[in-house]
Amino acid sequence: MKTFEERFTAWVDGQLTGPDLSDFEKELAAHPEAAAERAEARKLGDLLRAQPAPKLGNADFFNHQLMQRIAAETPRTAEPVKARGWFWSLPRLAFAGAACLVIAGGLFKTLIPAAVPPGEKSKYYAQVVEAWPADPSISATTVYNPKDNVTVVWLDGLDYIPATYALK
Amino acid sequence: MRLPAALLVFAFAARTFAAEGETAIAVSGTSAVPAAKTVAVDKIWSAVVLATNPPTPKDAPPELREFTTRLKRVFGYSQFELIGAASEKIDEQNESWLVPSQSFWLSVKARRAVSKEARGGYLLNLQLFHDKRPLLETEAKLAPGSPIFIRGPEYGHGQLIIVLQVQR
Repeated sequence: MKTFEERFTAWVDGQLTGPDLSDFEKELAAHPEAAAERAEARKLGDLLRAQPAPKLGNADFFNHQLMQRIAAETPRTAEPVKARGWFWSLPRLAFAGAACLVIAGGLFKTLIPAAVPPGEKSKYYAQVVEAWPADPSISATTVYNPKDNVTVVWLDGLDYIPATYALK
Repeated sequence: MRLPAALLVFAFAARTFAAEGETAIAVSGTSAVPAAKTVAVDKIWSAVVLATNPPTPKDAPPELREFTTRLKRVFGYSQFELIGAASEKIDEQNESWLVPSQSFWLSVKARRAVSKEARGGYLLNLQLFHDKRPLLETEAKLAPGSPIFIRGPEYGHGQLIIVLQVQR
């Protein structure tokens, strides 16, 4: 539904037709000054149209100046903030990567057995878990000497080897 | 669940690469001299030692000097003669053979001990042979600096001892 002002402007310009025109003219009965205003507006329009339009020398420059002025006088509105992904920004990715490295390093140090560096003595000592003599006549006894950090497997029941037997 | 799994995989991969770097494996053949410590390799060193009590004991060869005190204390002999020695890279994929002398040799299957306490240690399946006759099969944990002495058969007026140690 158009406002009264819009319909009045259309009426002055002669753009109302048919039922719209008849309905609006009924409304104008309450506005006796409307006819005079219409006459003045038409007179002004005719007068303007009768004047020759000044010739525009540099139309493009004029348009450019005009657009710049409009832009300068138009209040700037804040640009809408783009909705960002809350996690996958570059700093967060870098932080996540660093955190992963730290955690992996911690796991590496705590869970994974590492070799003792050369020169460093291991606190670990030799242990014989099981010993199975090949012959029932042979017996094997295991002794660990913590003082010397040595484990001895003591085999009994082996055949004596004479000195004439070549060992090398 | 994916993040911890990925971290574990990452840590194990890093550990694997680190272990490969630390234990670049080199074969030293059957040299009687332990490998120089500047080479960061894990090897198992074995020796056949003849322990005797002569009236005038001789000094132990350089290869046995680090063991002499312990050998004397454990077995009670005064002289230790190196019959032969052999060292072999620790190959976790294949069985290795140590042949420190013509008469005694060892079959070794090794794998790295996984417990954190056994840092740098190995779990070994050892078989000791005298000529072609098996004498003993044993499962032992070995680490650098903690040898195993196996009391072998008596020989002439002395005692044969087999020494095993992980060397780095």
